[in-house]
Amino acid sequence: MRVTANSETCAVSSLCVYRVPGVFDQDEDGLVLVLDESPAESLYEEIRRAARGCPTKSIRVVEDSEVGEAAQAAPAAPAAPAVETADAATGGAA
Amino acid sequence: MSTQTPPRYPFAWTPPMQVPEALRNIHKTSAMEVTLPSGDTATLVTRYKDVRALFADKRLSRNIARPDCARISKDNDLFMDPNIDPDPPEHTRVRSLVTKAFTARRIEALRPYVQQVADQLLDEMEAGPQPVELNEALAFPLPIMVICKLLGVPAEDRDQFRAYVDGFLSVTKLSPEEVGACRQNLWKYLGDLIDSKRDNPGDDLVSELIRVRDDEDDSRLNDHELHFWTQGLLIAGYVTTASQIGTGTAVLLHHPEFVRAIREDWSLVPSTVEELLRTQIMGSSVGTMRYAIDDIPLSDGTVIKKGTSVLLSEEGANVDPEVFECPMELDIRRTENHHMTFGAGLHYCVGAALARMELQVATESLLRRFPNIRLAAPAEKLPRALGGFMEGFTEIPVEW
Repeated sequence: MRVTANSETCAVSSLCVYRVPGVFDQDEDGLVLVLDESPAESLYEEIRRAARGCPTKSIRVVEDSEVGEAAQAAPAAPAAPAVETADAATGGAA
Repeated sequence: MSTQTPPRYPFAWTPPMQVPEALRNIHKTSAMEVTLPSGDTATLVTRYKDVRALFADKRLSRNIARPDCARISKDNDLFMDPNIDPDPPEHTRVRSLVTKAFTARRIEALRPYVQQVADQLLDEMEAGPQPVELNEALAFPLPIMVICKLLGVPAEDRDQFRAYVDGFLSVTKLSPEEVGACRQNLWKYLGDLIDSKRDNPGDDLVSELIRVRDDEDDSRLNDHELHFWTQGLLIAGYVTTASQIGTGTAVLLHHPEFVRAIREDWSLVPSTVEELLRTQIMGSSVGTMRYAIDDIPLSDGTVIKKGTSVLLSEEGANVDPEVFECPMELDIRRTENHHMTFGAGLHYCVGAALARMELQVATESLLRRFPNIRLAAPAEKLPRALGGFMEGFTEIPVEW
């Protein structure tokens, strides 16, 4: 699993930090930081919950099965466009 | 279109422990017309999927100071300051100044203080006669003392501003003149507070905001905004948490089996708090008023037309059977409980982590201190607040 987060859309709910403190943290302004981008498998379920529960959908989880294709794109491309699209798509889905 | 008057909103909780019938049936349509206390109508969005998406949708403006936007109350223009634009980029600029005070680390640093205040209030409660009215003994004083500490409001002023805030939040309880007087008093009080912090800054949020106002780029926060957002934090940080502590506890005590379960496993406190937040929203959703600045299709194809006043039903989303198994049941062990009580998207409640921490401390401290605590009146007779933004129980007699 690969975990990234978009601090630009973060609304400082702190939910991820409380749920998986070893993986998520906050900077001085409260914005999300990912401490461990490749966490232990025992944390996967809690991390998925954190991603589902994020009020701004700012956490992105790429599962091992998808990691091959994401590995090239992830370091260069921040999660921002993907998250924005996801929100807009849900909001506008007819 | 039916010519019938749309149902009254907020839906009344009668009997008080039972989910309103209207709320049980709310998911049959994705949006419904409702009549507000002002007599204006608005469109209530009912399903979790839509509510969550719309909280993050920029086609819904939070600036409701528009002549054609529905009013919640005829007697109170709460949150309709035309000088403040709570949409991005204005909102983002102000919000980022405040969020740093609410990080998990800062909130946890406050926990010992909250515990100390709770212990002190429970000491006083234990020393007095029974039954005790829980709102006065714990639910209201605790968040007041915490928000005062956070904002730097002197302890001796608490009762005074509590009266102003209560008046400020009236929907139908007070006349427009009385609401206006409370608002003026509060505004003046905050002006004096800001002036005194300017002369004697402290380690508090108001002092910090003043520093940003005065020392840095002048465009960041003007005096009016400084006033407005201090007022917002003060109000949002007090009445909501107070109502939730009191009413959540009353509901919990109504279920002795859950109280027993918590006593056997204190790690259930956080999930209990979440479940009470999910099922017992105290302000219904009147605080979610939005205005559509474009046509917005919902997930089933229904279109919210540009110019519509929209309420996002947090309480409807929270009991949506598509998302929550047995949604009407209180289940203190729910692990997947992404309720909408604090909203979603960029306006997500900035004080959510603080509220959660206060609720956890209050719940656990009360149950630990009084192993036999119970309601001292029949649950179905507990009076609910009317005519204000908060609808929690106004009297919660307890004994032990």
